[in-house]
Amino acid sequence: MTEAPILRVDALTRRFRGLVAINDLSFSVRAGSITSVIGPNGAGKSTLFNLITGYLRPSAGDVFFHEKRITGMSTDRIAAGGVARAFQIARPFRDLTVEENIRIGALFGKHGPRDVPATVSRALRLTGLQALQDEHTSALTVGQLRQLEVARAVATRADMLLADEPCAGLNPAETAHMIDVLRQVRDGGVTVLLVEHDMPAVMRVSDRIVVLDAGNKIAEGSPDEIATNPRVIAAYLGTPDPMT
Amino acid sequence: MKRPVVPLLVIVAGTVLAGLAPLVMPPFSVRLGQLVLFYGGLAVAWNILGGFAGYRSFGNTAFIGIGAFTAGLLQPYLQGLQPLAGFVAGLVAGISACMVVSGLLAYPILRLRGAFFAIATLGVAHVCAELTNNIDAFQGAMGLTFPEIVPFDWEPRIFFYELYLAAAVITLLIAWFIKNSRFGYGLLAIREDEDTARMLGVPTERFKALALVISAGLTGGFGVIFANSLGYITTNSVYRDDTSLNLIVYCLLGGVGTLFGPVIGTILLVLLIQLVLGNLLDFHLFATGLLLVVLVLVAPDGVLGVIRKWRLKRRLAALEQA
Amino acid sequence: MFSAAFDADGFTEGGPADGSDRAAGRMNLLLQTLLDGLVLGGIYALSAVGFSLIFGVLHVLNLSHGILVLAGAYLAFALSKALHIDPLLTTPMVMAALFAIGYCFQRYLIQYAVDRSQLGSMLLTFGVALMMENALVWGFSPDMHSLTPSWAFSPLRLHGLTLDPVRLVALLTSLVLLGVLTIVLQRTSLGRIIRATAQQTLAARLCGVDVQNVFALTFAVSAAFAGASGIIIGMVLPFSPSDEGLWTLNAFVVVTLGGVGSPGGALLGGLLLGLVYTLTAQYIGPAFPNATMFLILVVMLMVRPNGLLGNAFAGSR
Repeated sequence: MTEAPILRVDALTRRFRGLVAINDLSFSVRAGSITSVIGPNGAGKSTLFNLITGYLRPSAGDVFFHEKRITGMSTDRIAAGGVARAFQIARPFRDLTVEENIRIGALFGKHGPRDVPATVSRALRLTGLQALQDEHTSALTVGQLRQLEVARAVATRADMLLADEPCAGLNPAETAHMIDVLRQVRDGGVTVLLVEHDMPAVMRVSDRIVVLDAGNKIAEGSPDEIATNPRVIAAYLGTPDPMT
Repeated sequence: MKRPVVPLLVIVAGTVLAGLAPLVMPPFSVRLGQLVLFYGGLAVAWNILGGFAGYRSFGNTAFIGIGAFTAGLLQPYLQGLQPLAGFVAGLVAGISACMVVSGLLAYPILRLRGAFFAIATLGVAHVCAELTNNIDAFQGAMGLTFPEIVPFDWEPRIFFYELYLAAAVITLLIAWFIKNSRFGYGLLAIREDEDTARMLGVPTERFKALALVISAGLTGGFGVIFANSLGYITTNSVYRDDTSLNLIVYCLLGGVGTLFGPVIGTILLVLLIQLVLGNLLDFHLFATGLLLVVLVLVAPDGVLGVIRKWRLKRRLAALEQA
Repeated sequence: MFSAAFDADGFTEGGPADGSDRAAGRMNLLLQTLLDGLVLGGIYALSAVGFSLIFGVLHVLNLSHGILVLAGAYLAFALSKALHIDPLLTTPMVMAALFAIGYCFQRYLIQYAVDRSQLGSMLLTFGVALMMENALVWGFSPDMHSLTPSWAFSPLRLHGLTLDPVRLVALLTSLVLLGVLTIVLQRTSLGRIIRATAQQTLAARLCGVDVQNVFALTFAVSAAFAGASGIIIGMVLPFSPSDEGLWTLNAFVVVTLGGVGSPGGALLGGLLLGLVYTLTAQYIGPAFPNATMFLILVVMLMVRPNGLLGNAFAGSR
């Protein structure tokens, strides 16, 4: 039984001048899963997100969302098609309140301006920001800003959430909260594609993991398979690759 | 979408008051009222792109000029019509011309941000003025005349006052509608962070272009009324850099991006300059410049900005205590 | 508005008088137009280099640049009248005066807006420009003035090409001054500190550089060169207080074409602008130079936002 994947990346390549940031990368994401992309710094994870969201154009290869080719589409059309992104460095609309930030997400995104108040309050409840809804974003902590990123992305009612290192720089309690929120997002029917450095968190939350190193996919599998994969261990510990 | 009603009530009440005011005002005040309504409406129109979306045009005078000259060049073909019908035809043509021109300009110049956008719009204004002046068909150097359009035996002063009032109120209503619409929130997102707005699915290119076209069309409408009230225009009387600049100053003083900020700023400044410096014409440019300098140094967010910041500070202090 | 004075004073006249050989006449007309474009371009380059430097180092779009140019012209006008000397000889005095004015202007006014938004410093400098334009009208009337050198004798003719010695001197002076500025930036310790601050403002501050002082010195140098260009402009063209916007816009176009922060970029941009100006005026029509220029400007901003030579302080963005 092969169900059609929600996202399929096909032979994707992106070069910056001489540097190959993503090299002939193919993988798919099953609908309703939490799939993580991990890899050392410079592995090409951020480039991958930029390619999927249309922020960068690939040098070669394609991205399919719901089996529809989205390569080369503008960022806003991809977002309106159901792909949302939460930035690693939170980028709130600074002069607006928490509620207004989330409302902008709800007004746009996949389902346009329908059921805006209900969507906003659901996103507020999910991320635990209800008490802060009328505050300006300048009053928020780093952890709360990160939750706001997720809330605003979820409010677009996307089918898929790209979360870019949502736990970076958070304390253990905040990290636990974030993981809990991501699980709830998935249980609500939204597929999550996660880039994260916090390995214990990745292992706990992921259904599937893709490992990148220097733009190449070096492994893919369940958390257990990845944890014992010698190439992954080598890439992370920096020892010579046992396969070569 | 739920819209706040209070601003609407303010607009309606203000319209009724301002509409009846000429009955009791001395002639000088009516003329002053014309100025306030003309510049106030222009400032509100500027604010739709400059305040809501954060794309600050330094060349809105281009659309005053395009509107005025389109209407003026059309006059010879409208001589069979009633004067007032001719005016309406000119108004429609002027607004349409501004919307078409701004629509064509939207793609190239809205790709520029910040200072580059500002300079590009300044350039647009200069080029339009130059072409109007130097291409014989536009008759910018010789000038164009407009027929008398005041119906019955209305006092022209009061007629144009009411015309400006109608235009200003329509502009303000459009701004109110936009500010509380999905479109308005999209513009707000663009102003705050254009890349993030796009990531959330805001069709930034389309929204920016639409804001520019609306702003330009409204500005062009004021240009047509202005030209009719003058009766005779040349390039230099409608393309004026200081008008472009004044609009920014009014909005800055009142509060950029707010609904009533541009109106408040215009009232304060026009009254100040006309009443205090009325007899010192040589001093106007200097005074405008000085005000601009003081504003940037003392209150870069305008009167409403100062009030808002003070409120925010109190809220933050209260939060810290809790 | 953009000045159309170049067409009025015989700047683009030329070609053989008899007109017997039309092809040669056309060729001569082209050469004459190119020559005029180069002279004009040299002046544009010098008038823009200060604007470029300020943008590159302070990231401020100085909308009062045109006023600094005009200040140089009017100062030279007043000094040459008062001292009964040739306007060109007032150059050192004018540059010294504008150096001092520029330093104070930046240190005690613009500095307060630098750290705020870019719009803030733009509006501030625009405000100052309006005030000074008004002040120039009070001091010198709104009418046209010009600086006439005592040695303005008859034009040289060479193979049917006309070259007025005043314009030749204007071009040479522009090139010499641009060369001097290049040496100042590349070889002196002041130049090194300015370039270092432009590239890494924070790092320079951490190394003990008094950044505010460097900003003020940059502004002072820029103002001095703007003033010098004003003298040269005054010798070639009539000027009036309302020209200030024109010279600011020209500087912006030059920088957009050539690139930010270097005399070389300004020279390239200036020459391009000069050639576009005279070629369009000659072959398309006197009404179109600025429209053409604006078209090129917008295309450039879209295709190569950093100018043909890029940003001389590429590390700064």
